[in-house]
Amino acid sequence: MENYIVEMRHITKRFPGIIANDDVSIGIRPGEVFALLGENGAGKSTLMSMLFGMYTPDLGEIYVKGEKVEFRSSNDATAHSIGMVHQHFKLVDNYTIAENIVLGVEPMGKKLGFLPAVNMKQANREIAQLSKDYGLEVNPTDLIESVPVSVRQRVEILKMLYRKAEIMIFDEPTAVLTPSEIEFLLKIIDGLRKSGKTIILITHKIEEIKQIADRCAILCRGRLVDIMDVKTASVQEMANMMVGREVDFHRHKSEAHFGKEVLEVKNLTVLNEHHFPVVKKVSFSIHAGEIFAIAGVSGNGQTEIADAVTGLAAASEGQVLLNGKDITHAAIRSRAQEGISYIPEDRQSTGVVMDFSLSDNLALRRYTKEPYSKNGILNFGEFRKSAEEMITRYDIRSGQGVKTIVRSMSGGNQQKAIIGREIEEHSDLIIFVQPTRGLDIGAIENVHRQILEERERGAAILLISLELSEVMELADTIGVIFSGELLKTAPAGSMTRNEVGRYMMGVKEA
Amino acid sequence: MTKVFTDGLSFALPLLIMAVGAIYSEKSGVTNLAIEGFQGFGAFVGALVAILIMPYLPKSSQIPIYVAMLFAAIGGGIYACVHALLCINFKANQVISGVVVNILAVALTTFFTSSANTALLGTASNKFILGVSNRHSIPLLSKIPWIGGLFQKMYPFEWIIIGLVIVFWYLMYRTRYGMRLRACGENPQALDAAGGDVVKTRWIAVIISGALSGIGGICFAYSIMANYSPSIYMGYGYLAIAAMIFGNWNIPTTVLVCLVFGIAKAGGQQLCIAMKLSGNYTDLFNMLPYILTMLLLIFFSRRNHPPQACGQPWDHSRR
Repeated sequence: MENYIVEMRHITKRFPGIIANDDVSIGIRPGEVFALLGENGAGKSTLMSMLFGMYTPDLGEIYVKGEKVEFRSSNDATAHSIGMVHQHFKLVDNYTIAENIVLGVEPMGKKLGFLPAVNMKQANREIAQLSKDYGLEVNPTDLIESVPVSVRQRVEILKMLYRKAEIMIFDEPTAVLTPSEIEFLLKIIDGLRKSGKTIILITHKIEEIKQIADRCAILCRGRLVDIMDVKTASVQEMANMMVGREVDFHRHKSEAHFGKEVLEVKNLTVLNEHHFPVVKKVSFSIHAGEIFAIAGVSGNGQTEIADAVTGLAAASEGQVLLNGKDITHAAIRSRAQEGISYIPEDRQSTGVVMDFSLSDNLALRRYTKEPYSKNGILNFGEFRKSAEEMITRYDIRSGQGVKTIVRSMSGGNQQKAIIGREIEEHSDLIIFVQPTRGLDIGAIENVHRQILEERERGAAILLISLELSEVMELADTIGVIFSGELLKTAPAGSMTRNEVGRYMMGVKEA
Repeated sequence: MTKVFTDGLSFALPLLIMAVGAIYSEKSGVTNLAIEGFQGFGAFVGALVAILIMPYLPKSSQIPIYVAMLFAAIGGGIYACVHALLCINFKANQVISGVVVNILAVALTTFFTSSANTALLGTASNKFILGVSNRHSIPLLSKIPWIGGLFQKMYPFEWIIIGLVIVFWYLMYRTRYGMRLRACGENPQALDAAGGDVVKTRWIAVIISGALSGIGGICFAYSIMANYSPSIYMGYGYLAIAAMIFGNWNIPTTVLVCLVFGIAKAGGQQLCIAMKLSGNYTDLFNMLPYILTMLLLIFFSRRNHPPQACGQPWDHSRR
């Protein structure tokens, strides 16, 4: 019998229509970084939510430090020194950092010698000390709404430390971070391990596991596939197990055959809400069968270009031409019908209606047309029929088929639904903004294959991505954007990865 | 002029205590349009207890007023459980629940008032005759020119309300419960993850809301109404909600807004008298606070910061 600090035995958890965890058993040794690897929807988060007391398992047992536990709420887990950083941070925006950290375990003092009051002075002091001790620089009196995402994550980590957690669960901690912030976080995690904490890391990024984890459990569709020693396992091996099939890391891209010019953007300028130009006199064109990728660091105006082409944002200057026709001031729907498909960056707020069913969401592009509606009356039978076809064709997995509420689906499957819906329109121009953000390797492979297939079909593709590797792999032409200007536009083959990287930092002549 | 301040304050303070009640509920994340119903039902319970004990006390005794205030708070708190149950446990639409609770309060109290009068006095009146509370002026302070009116002929309940507002301000901004309450209305998931109990926090907040509204109601009954009758449902509960909104869900600013409302109302009445207009016009001048409400609404509603989670039923499993 090994000395485990946490042991989960034969855990099974069902949700309506889905077995999230099917007889999963894992044991975690004290002081290690234990990774849980799996695709979106493989059941990693569910498993850890049970360890953190947010769900109770249908079957199976949980042991913490050899003692059998039954957690009814996250309080019970906290009492057993378990802490968790959730994927979506649980912070109060208009509270200070310190107030957020002490919420729930407030240090108490006395006002005027007898009135009980929360002692924020003491809290601020303790937190300043704690943040110094662990190298997590924060200012305790800053409001959460005024600090960036990476600082909010530090606040979540400090929350666990303040509660003296020994076992720390991180749910997809790097999904919201930039590469340098990821480096920093991994260093922090390493520091926590050195100070004796046990870390459980939920992720679908194998490189991170390779870098930081000691052991790794792989989940696939709710089942435990294997627990491996990270040092001896290969990336390919882990990827295959996670996806449940052979993963292909190479993209099969055929010779480019450019056709006629589909999109032409001339001297486009876009202003933000403060009337400040975020896109400055940008010009480019995309041909049929061409993937034009815009590379750049986040927030340099790339999203606004996509918004101006689709009509979500107004162009203050310049022209947008689709198949030679000026659409600069056309309405959004008429642009879409002229032949623009759009896979937006923020899929949950712009791509789908979260509380609509899958079939309604899949019909969003076509419900105005026959046979989906006639004389303004919707035909739900047609909705369902076409949704069922798309679900099979695009392998969209969900709990209750066409009736599933989209909110309950995993991010990867939401994205599959959006891409399926947009591709089905067979548009001349397809705009992909950050199409693989937050997706796992299996899903990324899928999205990339679909993008290439559309190129093959003869669509013009505008790809906007922050992932340089994605740009380098897929693009025929690369435009590098910096501070709202296209610094450099060139055929993909003529620039190296490093050159593109330099332009992204604003260096004009490399 | 002094009368404007005297009457203004005695109208503003009951309004304020109801507004503070509304703030408690909304800061915890439960939209509360039910203040009107809470204050009416609370006042009914307080008035009923008062007329039950009145025969056993000397005629001019002031004790029934304080007993009535206590029971109005208890009655309002109990009646608020209906709203809490619908909104928190059954996750009903909070706006609809508020409206229903108001309508139910009018119907129930009208019926019970008539029944109680029939049983106790043998007359089918829909009123409890309560009389008006005594008033006291503060020595020295009431002699100050202009604003001295604020300290003249004060009802004792005004002092109680000022004390309560300070206590409930302290509870919201300085204590553990207050900190959790405000977190609960901004992001209940955060409170839940931090180990707080969202359901309990909201329940307590809604009950406090009912209790404070009940006190507001009975104070109106003992001052401008001089009795308890269904005319207690004059819309002051809604005015309190308006005060909360202009006060940006913040107790100190709401104090100012209530004072402005009170002085506008009293000022309107005095203006009517000063202009020697007939009684018909009183109603017209009584509209002043409401017209003021509409004007303020135009200017203030854009800059406001309502509690972010207000109106959303809290669902543990929803992410």
